[in-house]
Amino acid sequence: MTSPPPQLRSQVIALYKNLLYMGRDYPKGYAYFRDRLKSVFLKNSGVKDPDQIKVLIGRGEFVIKELEALYMLRKYRALKHRYYEKDEATTSATTSSSDKKAPTKTQ
Amino acid sequence: TAAPTNILSALGTIAPHRCYGHGVEMTRHMLNERVLLVLRLFDKINPDKLTLESQFAKDLGLDSLDHVELIMAVEDEFGFEIPDQDAERLRSPEDIVQYLCDKLDVFD
Repeated sequence: MTSPPPQLRSQVIALYKNLLYMGRDYPKGYAYFRDRLKSVFLKNSGVKDPDQIKVLIGRGEFVIKELEALYMLRKYRALKHRYYEKDEATTSATTSSSDKKAPTKTQ
Repeated sequence: TAAPTNILSALGTIAPHRCYGHGVEMTRHMLNERVLLVLRLFDKINPDKLTLESQFAKDLGLDSLDHVELIMAVEDEFGFEIPDQDAERLRSPEDIVQYLCDKLDVFD
């Protein structure tokens, strides 16, 4: 079995570092995020196939994008909550007909 | 953003530090103390086993992921980024202090 090239290793380390930076703002707390991140990385530490490693790195980058989206949504919701009163006109204008089946989802 | 130093000293909690001026004069001894403090506060390190020469991987039992986190803590303390290729060469507190001396021009 060929050992993976060193630049893949440095990519994995850079990915771990980026995820740690993202995890600082995680709602459930940095320690929670870090422990789970570490266990996931350790679980996959035995993988030696370079293609497999690239797939896993891709998954990690996807998680980073999801976290960015989560934080942007959280900021949006915080500002909206602070500056806008929820009234009939806004609620009916912003919820589509499909949302009416589960009204709690808009909160 | 430069804040007037007299207000800061009246608050008493923040040491007056003029931005864009010279920083604190650092000695190697001060660097040793700061690095050891950061490492002692790191929860994966046993403070009893920590000396300047103890190796992170061999003596303190840290793996490469803990190492990443540790270097991040050092970056936060000293306020500048350490690139990954430099970071992987830093295997003991002594290495970190030497690297910081090189970067911060501390010559003691």
